[in-house]
Amino acid sequence: MNDTDIDVNAPVKTAPRTGRAGTMLRLLWADKLAFGAAVFVIVIVLCATIGPAVLADAASGTNLRLRNAAPFSMEHGPLYILGGDALGRPLLARIIVAAQNTMMIAAGAVVASLLIGGFLGLVAGYVGRMTGEVIMRLADVIMSFPSLLLAVIVLYMLQASIANLILVLAITRIPVYLRTTRAEVLEVRERMFVKAAQVMGASSRRIVFRHILPVILPTLLTIATLDFAFVMLAESALSFLGIGIQAPEITWGLMVSQGRQYLTSAWWLAFWPGLVIVLTTMSLNLLSSWMRIALNPTQRWRLEIGGKSNG
Amino acid sequence: MKYSTVLAGALLATTVMSQAFAQEAGNVTVVLGEEPDLVEPCMATRSNIGRIVLQNISETLTELDVRGDEGLKPRLAVSWEMTDASTWRFHLREGVKFSDGSDFDAQDVKHSFDRAQSDQISCEISRYYEGIDITPTVIDPHTIDFTTDPAQPILPLLLSLLTIVPSETPIEFTREPVGTGPYILSDWQPGRQITLERRDDYWGDAPEVQTAKYVFRSDPAVAAAMVSTGEADIAPTISAMDATTDMDVAYPNSETTYLRIDSSVAPLDDKRVREALNIGIDRDAFIGTILAEGTQVATAINVPTTLGWNPDVKAFPYDPERARELLDEAKADGVPVDREILLVGRTGNFPGATETFEAIQSMLNDAGFNIKLQMVEVAEHEQYYSKPYVDGRGPILVGAQHDNSRGDPVFSMFFKYDSEGRQSGIADQKVDDLIAQATAATGEEREALWSELFAYLHDDVIADVLLFHMVGHARVGSRVAFTPTIATNSQLQLSEIGFR
Amino acid sequence: MKSMLGKRAVSSFVSLLVLIVLVFFLSRLTGDPAALYLPIDASEAMRENFREINGLNDPVLVQFGHYLSDLVRLDFGDSLRKARPAIDVVLEAFVWTLWLALITMVLVTVAAIVVGALAAFNVGRGFDRVASVFSLIGASAPDFWVAIVGIVLFSVTLGWLPTSGTGTIWHWILPVAVLFIRPFGLILQIVRGSMINALGSAYVKTARAKGVKNRPIIFVHTLRNAMLPVITVIGDQAAALLNGAVVVETIFGFPGVGKLMIDSILQRDFNVILAAIMVTALAIFVMNIVIDIAYALLDPRIRT
Repeated sequence: MNDTDIDVNAPVKTAPRTGRAGTMLRLLWADKLAFGAAVFVIVIVLCATIGPAVLADAASGTNLRLRNAAPFSMEHGPLYILGGDALGRPLLARIIVAAQNTMMIAAGAVVASLLIGGFLGLVAGYVGRMTGEVIMRLADVIMSFPSLLLAVIVLYMLQASIANLILVLAITRIPVYLRTTRAEVLEVRERMFVKAAQVMGASSRRIVFRHILPVILPTLLTIATLDFAFVMLAESALSFLGIGIQAPEITWGLMVSQGRQYLTSAWWLAFWPGLVIVLTTMSLNLLSSWMRIALNPTQRWRLEIGGKSNG
Repeated sequence: MKYSTVLAGALLATTVMSQAFAQEAGNVTVVLGEEPDLVEPCMATRSNIGRIVLQNISETLTELDVRGDEGLKPRLAVSWEMTDASTWRFHLREGVKFSDGSDFDAQDVKHSFDRAQSDQISCEISRYYEGIDITPTVIDPHTIDFTTDPAQPILPLLLSLLTIVPSETPIEFTREPVGTGPYILSDWQPGRQITLERRDDYWGDAPEVQTAKYVFRSDPAVAAAMVSTGEADIAPTISAMDATTDMDVAYPNSETTYLRIDSSVAPLDDKRVREALNIGIDRDAFIGTILAEGTQVATAINVPTTLGWNPDVKAFPYDPERARELLDEAKADGVPVDREILLVGRTGNFPGATETFEAIQSMLNDAGFNIKLQMVEVAEHEQYYSKPYVDGRGPILVGAQHDNSRGDPVFSMFFKYDSEGRQSGIADQKVDDLIAQATAATGEEREALWSELFAYLHDDVIADVLLFHMVGHARVGSRVAFTPTIATNSQLQLSEIGFR
Repeated sequence: MKSMLGKRAVSSFVSLLVLIVLVFFLSRLTGDPAALYLPIDASEAMRENFREINGLNDPVLVQFGHYLSDLVRLDFGDSLRKARPAIDVVLEAFVWTLWLALITMVLVTVAAIVVGALAAFNVGRGFDRVASVFSLIGASAPDFWVAIVGIVLFSVTLGWLPTSGTGTIWHWILPVAVLFIRPFGLILQIVRGSMINALGSAYVKTARAKGVKNRPIIFVHTLRNAMLPVITVIGDQAAALLNGAVVVETIFGFPGVGKLMIDSILQRDFNVILAAIMVTALAIFVMNIVIDIAYALLDPRIRT
């Protein structure tokens, strides 16, 4: 389950400086692929924030005459450019509206697991051996706990709501952040500047949050970006298996999973939402590779000189 | 060079494939949606087990004719009669052998019945004999009496569900079923396949099929694809969405889709509200769109071929205007019609289930209701559908399916409508009385009582929102001849499969 | 090494025990198996009888006591639905999953290392770009979607491969191919990143400065040094596969432990769930040890 809990290339780290938004933008512009990805992600975020307010009615209005309406036709209005679904609802509108749930679930799960996992990882890495050991075993338990069973338990005992789905996905992703953070802390705490701070009598909290956290944050953020994509796919797999978010709520994953029944007769039902998932995941992957370089001063020159390579 | 390698590989693949997957003569492969947990005769009323066991491995005394209209036909019993008001006498077929070589006699029938009723194992068929005191008595090796209390006019029909096992069968679940049927279970590789082999010493005519292999694919699209590619011959239940080729056959599958109304909770305790629910749904709009062509609008929980089905009961017309008026009237009388009503559907209950319930939700909301839809998995659905219902619940509609292909409403009525019934949403004295009377009645009286009950439930009580009698779709490959029936959901007799 | 192994075993055992306790109690909160096992219109008496036979009426703590005392004697209990020992059911399915995971991971590892390393040597050039984009697209697509499109394309339309099931070597191609895509994309990315790093490191530069022109030598040395993070990811991916490739197994009718797991969870067949968790946990434990050994072989500093 944990694809990403190691930092691939983090040989040297330095604490970040402030006021570098301009530098970042310049670095982004230098990598055209990453720039495109960023634009796409911004569009999706816009859809997620204002889409439902504008298009909720259009997305839920059934119209059986337009059932499985074919794509690439403006006959029924621009919203039907991607075709209609099994109840004649415009796919474009549904994809835009579904962006909100999809993003909320993915972002919610990623942020929650990042915060909890990161915090536990800091504790496990910096506080005594015993505590660390207990926390690590906890991570083992979570990792071997079948995520499907967890989903069934939570959704049965509570209710199949977005918040509970976020809870399920967040729990399953905690060990990724926990293990990475701990491994990084163990290494960073031996570094000179941390030792120096200790000698100078800084409090543990100050050392952890002021000296260690900034160093490992880039790694965690990189993982979070990758994980965002992973969580979206996991959510769609849960919908496919009949647990997780169910209609009338919509997410892209649910749309693909429902549309697959029509794969032979109306391919567009599953194709468009699937394409959006792929594009979003790819954009996030590209951004994450870019970030890995941009946040790493020893690699940054790659972007600054030619901006051709993305790795 | 690369291109030619790919081409060679493809050619090789094609030739190897056609050799590896060509079916041998006399063999059929059937692809089912779910693997049975057991191949146990006394569980044959469960559809995934019955399709394999019923009349293939294990036979019954009587058999309901689902292809013609002969009614109840002899199978292991050659004839039966009532000797007095509470006793049925069955004359058994002679010269029948079990697949283990032993002879079939009345003692086996008695043991089969006792085994099914035993409290040491949870046999599913015993539920059909619940609430009746039945005592089998062996008269001679080929005659057996069943004494019942109270009188059981349809006992021969009930016995069409009792699979016969030899008297040596232990009272625990077996994985090696022995029966009198034309096939034996020859191989079972869990998760992969089950193979039935034809017996040579079967008492009846030898069926054409020599070997039947069952494989299991939970995705209906994959099941359908297997028949298209020739990997399988019959997929008895594929999705309507995939039923687009000329290999596909539609058949009424005896499932009735309906919304069970919990009429003990306001506002659903008001008859006007229940009527508004009924006329607020445009049933015809579903047919040929979300649901397959051939789906019928239902006016009863049982299909039209059932005893006592009432042709005079007319389906509710679609009239959203009138629905609004009814709701307004109810509101004026203080009924809380604005209350949110939960509509519970089951994911994957039938192909297009989610779309169907979404459309119902949107139609009802257009008619002035405040419906919230929730699709759930099977265990949760069961919680809403069956008693004991949760205390302090809000108004709930449960979308469900009921399957009764057995010809008599007795298998449905008590559970669905009696005050004590497990899935009943009503408590009506007249309904309870009618069910009790009809259950004990015979002949025309029975038919008339059931008819009266169907009409009363639909027109006077408005007990539920009856929706559709569904059709199933089967894909049948080009080398076999097979016509699905209304009973194909629960049994699949290999003897009815021929070759072209 | 030995003491490390011992410690590992103890701590893994503790985790497993906690896991069993959690699963045992939590899964029993998700409804009554009798309601699912028996037909929907079975009477309360039948349900009661079913619970009695299967010991579901005892207080949960008593049930747990029975379970543990049986477990000590290596009795995992019977499957509620299949009327046979849960461990048999699980082991039968696990063998299939093991093969599926093994074949997939071997192919993924070889392919990802070769392609990833080549991409790293050609950073920014055509090959690198194509490999990156394709691996990304593959890793981003929902696997059930890829699986069904694969069946429609390769089985129904082209007729090259069987749609599903088991039996011949051809049956394995589609499931393995679908499982291959995601870990391949991921490991490829990591190999590539790791190699780029290693190529830029001091000793490679030194070697080049000293005039070692032999690319294979550089390749091998770099690879060896770039392998540490890669192995961790390979381990994680393999662990995920050992837990059962639910979606792929469901679609292809593959009799593995993932399909068994989802079925038992939905049917509340507790003993099978628990046995499956223990078997996969054990397998993952063994695999982690193999990975540790690989680590030690690659990096002598870790050897203790």
